[in-house]
Amino acid sequence: MSFFDTHLLNLVVFLPLVFAALVLMLPAGEAGQIRAVTFIAMVVDLVFGVWAYMRFEPGGAEFQLEYRVHWFKEFGLSYHLGVDGLAASLLLLTVFLGPLVVLASTTYISHRIKEFHLALLVLQTTMLGALVSLDVLLFYIFFEAMLIPMYLLVGVWGAEDRQMAAVKFFLYTLVGSLLMLVALIAVYFISSPAGARSFDYSSMYNGLLDANRQLSACTAGPPGACDSLTGLAATLHTYGPWLFGAFALAFAIKVPMWPVHTWLPDAHVQAPVAGSMILAGVMLKMGTFGFWRYAIPFFPVAAQQARPFLATLAVIGIVYGALMCLAQRDIKKLIAYSSVSHLGYCMLGMLAVTAEGATGSAYQMLNHGISTGALFLLFGYLYERRHTRLMADFGGIAKVMPVFTVAFVIITFSSVAVPGTNGFIGEFLVLLGTFKSDLGAAAGNPHLTMVFGAFATLGVILGAAYMLWMVQKVFFGGLTHRENQHLTDMNLREMLTVLPFIILVGVMGLMPQPFLDRIEPSTSRFIARARVGTPGATVETEQVRVEVMGLPAQPTAAAPSVPAPLAARAVPSPRP
Amino acid sequence: MILPNLTLADFLPLIPAIILVVGACILLLSEVFLGANASRSYQAVLTVVSSVAAGAVAVANMFEPAHEVFLGFGVLDPFSSFLTFVVCVGLGLAALSSVSFLRKRGAERGEFYALMLFAAAGMSLLALSNELITLFVNLEVLSIATYALTSYLRRGTRPSEAGFKYFILGAFSSAVLLYGAALLYGATGSTKLTDMVGPLSGALATQPALVYVGLILLGSGFAFKVAAVPFHMWTPDVYEGAPTPVTALMSAGVKAAAFAALVRVFLTLGKGIDPHLPLVLFSTLAFLTMVVGNLLAIPQRNVKRMLAYSSIAHAGYLLVGVAALFVTAPGEQFRLLGPSELTGGSPVELARSQALRGILFYLLAYTFSAVGAFTLVSVLERREDEEKGTAWDLERFSGLAQRRPGWAVAMATFMLSLGGIPPTIGFMSKLLIFQSAVDSGLIGLAIVGVLASAAGAYYYLRVVVYMFMRPVPEGALTLERSWSTELALVLATAAVLVFGILPGPITGWLQQASSIFGQ
Repeated sequence: MSFFDTHLLNLVVFLPLVFAALVLMLPAGEAGQIRAVTFIAMVVDLVFGVWAYMRFEPGGAEFQLEYRVHWFKEFGLSYHLGVDGLAASLLLLTVFLGPLVVLASTTYISHRIKEFHLALLVLQTTMLGALVSLDVLLFYIFFEAMLIPMYLLVGVWGAEDRQMAAVKFFLYTLVGSLLMLVALIAVYFISSPAGARSFDYSSMYNGLLDANRQLSACTAGPPGACDSLTGLAATLHTYGPWLFGAFALAFAIKVPMWPVHTWLPDAHVQAPVAGSMILAGVMLKMGTFGFWRYAIPFFPVAAQQARPFLATLAVIGIVYGALMCLAQRDIKKLIAYSSVSHLGYCMLGMLAVTAEGATGSAYQMLNHGISTGALFLLFGYLYERRHTRLMADFGGIAKVMPVFTVAFVIITFSSVAVPGTNGFIGEFLVLLGTFKSDLGAAAGNPHLTMVFGAFATLGVILGAAYMLWMVQKVFFGGLTHRENQHLTDMNLREMLTVLPFIILVGVMGLMPQPFLDRIEPSTSRFIARARVGTPGATVETEQVRVEVMGLPAQPTAAAPSVPAPLAARAVPSPRP
Repeated sequence: MILPNLTLADFLPLIPAIILVVGACILLLSEVFLGANASRSYQAVLTVVSSVAAGAVAVANMFEPAHEVFLGFGVLDPFSSFLTFVVCVGLGLAALSSVSFLRKRGAERGEFYALMLFAAAGMSLLALSNELITLFVNLEVLSIATYALTSYLRRGTRPSEAGFKYFILGAFSSAVLLYGAALLYGATGSTKLTDMVGPLSGALATQPALVYVGLILLGSGFAFKVAAVPFHMWTPDVYEGAPTPVTALMSAGVKAAAFAALVRVFLTLGKGIDPHLPLVLFSTLAFLTMVVGNLLAIPQRNVKRMLAYSSIAHAGYLLVGVAALFVTAPGEQFRLLGPSELTGGSPVELARSQALRGILFYLLAYTFSAVGAFTLVSVLERREDEEKGTAWDLERFSGLAQRRPGWAVAMATFMLSLGGIPPTIGFMSKLLIFQSAVDSGLIGLAIVGVLASAAGAYYYLRVVVYMFMRPVPEGALTLERSWSTELALVLATAAVLVFGILPGPITGWLQQASSIFGQ
């Protein structure tokens, strides 16, 4: 590993922040310079992000490009970065959206331009940081800090009800994540003995692993077999469901799963185009990513017990989201509810715990970022021209904006999973994985698997219905409104922002293999770790343990990492 | 009469207080020779210099081993030295913010700074008192100075009302405290804390009522000083009526010193009694204080009053840490987390040292954030609006981000820190407190605290909403800048962010400072 490799992730994460300092020094009136510097920052970050994605070897260790130093020693905190396949893919998505978001906002944002770009750059750093953190507390810090710039984006540059939406978004997410913090601290205490405690992902996960195995073994036995457990396994038996519940609630709010999704339509509708794109593109994935990386591997037994329940919520989300879309007159709200539906697929695929389902879920995370991000972008352009969000105010737009219509229809195809687009691969894998899964058996009746699958498939059909219905109402038919007769088609800048999305829709739809290659090792490890909780399942042991790099050797080994007991230190001790 | 044989080493812990008092005396004496229009800018400088010097000595004292001084009437331990340091930080920042505040009101006088220094000296001495009468005297030194400071701007009705209210209620609480001390003296025959422990268990067997009433009265007296619910009634009025820099000093320094005395008294006496009593007492207080403080802060449109309620809420979080000090066997009473063999080693002592560390770090974090926030409140207010009560309205913050972006960012940092959002020092301090609570098995209290701070985020965010998301109102006042206020803001913001990301240096000290004498 060269110097460059070890610092690559640091560079990717903190480059936007460094450029933010540069933007801070520019005068507020220089809108052009501010935009240019931000754009350059995002493009450079994209280059390094792609580089990191390329450097990731699918066959290699689980976590690659690691970097680790001491941070808050007596607390067991280290600054630890690294990516696995899923994190690398989501990192790619994040850096890909960065420059496009800046380009998309050049005319949309007309006041307080400097602050806007600062918020974008800080947001980029926090999102990337949350994806690559391997220390759970570091992840938590980025996860929370992410709220601040997003809150400002919605609250300052949003539509008319922006303040309500921003506060609702912030508080909703905060309540969930604060409960997760308590659970996180509890895991910190129980996962390792005093002195060895650490917030590192590997030590937390590995510390719980043996107890999880014991617990899983006894749940397969006769009723009451788990009452004789001792130590950590007994603790997990009693409190595991609560701890899992706290983690799951925090991430479910972020996903968002039905019924804690109510912040999302408000936030999306009120957010500026950049806010919507980032929110849909990356931030919602933090929820699914959190389930994948933390909630399910930490508590596989509790997760196994909660699987049918969570899968039911996911299916309800799929169908409910789709039905809500059918009832919308506001286009932006429709796209927002379609996110609830699409994220339901991500959750369902993950909870199926089959290779197809999990792969499809991960792929669907990327797809949703691209297709919904593009939909918000395109609708943003329409909104800039007409300043209305109601479907009824449009109609026959295809006659005046042909290029725009073509782009919108292609993205719509991706969103409704037409074969040949990226959406098809994701949703097909998720459905396949669901039908092959043991979800029904986990819920008590093997036939229920078919029910989960059937409802999810119903969601696909409804999805096609609402999207195509919306496209038809907005773009086709006669030009019913006089205001729409003079709409101009997309200009070069707008086309340039949409083009990358369209290219990716095609590439990821026709050549998914390079992307799937990087997701695959993560998938198999995730399945193995989630299977720890399934009684009687064969688990590939070498896939389960988390291996990471150790901490660098300590030059001041004299300093004890555990505080000595008070009594020992109250007596006179030599001056240091 | 036997004169005690004092050595020079006995005076070591007093040096910070001596520096502060000398500074105050210089200010008072020099004031006599100044004409009405003479320049008084040296006064703030002298105050800041004294507080820096005293703080530096306190930091040096932190590395001395813990021992008794003055025949056991006081102690020198890292705990008290760290608290002196916290007090000096609060004093320095508050003094910096006083300069333009007093100048705007034409009220620059040496007495103001001298009283601040006397109050700080009282706080420093309170932290090291190890005997009930000494403790009482020092408590009065700091209280009387703050009573006077509260009604310093005596021409308005609000300061007079606040000062009078504070004085009456403060005197009452001091009397309660003294009564408790007297009862305990009656039960044990001593006023030195270390000598009281032995007889206390005997007295508990023969006269349980006497001991319990004494302890509860003592606890109530302290609860009044730290503004714990249900002894918080005075706080909003007094905080609102007092000159804003004084409010800053009260919220940071008085609270820190009172917590120091409370922890020392109950930790020492707790060895002679059933630890369930303080545990139940402080858990109940913590629960009430967190919930009530946060709920009452939500409807406030007056930012200064909101910060007063928020200071009550923060006393609640600190009380969670205090309650964690008295858990004798983690997980046993509460059965919420694994038995102690999971934590290994000597869990009680480890948990206690972590709780102590959490409390100290929290006090420092709160000092930076709250004094910073009050500083910003003080620059936005105007004398003429005080009677109308609009001087601290949220409306004042409208559009601040467009008019003074630096101030708005600083205030947003303080608000996020008070709300406990990373990457600020407020998050780290809440983390340490809740971590020690979870470790002691007080999970229920930790969950309540976490939910209460989520409610708290609402009213802190409202200030941010006004600053960043509201337009500048018509006819907004001109905002004058002054170097001293801006220096205070820059220092506090930098501390909040730097120690929020890299708490290492401070916690390194706390490794030392969490040792308290006799434990």
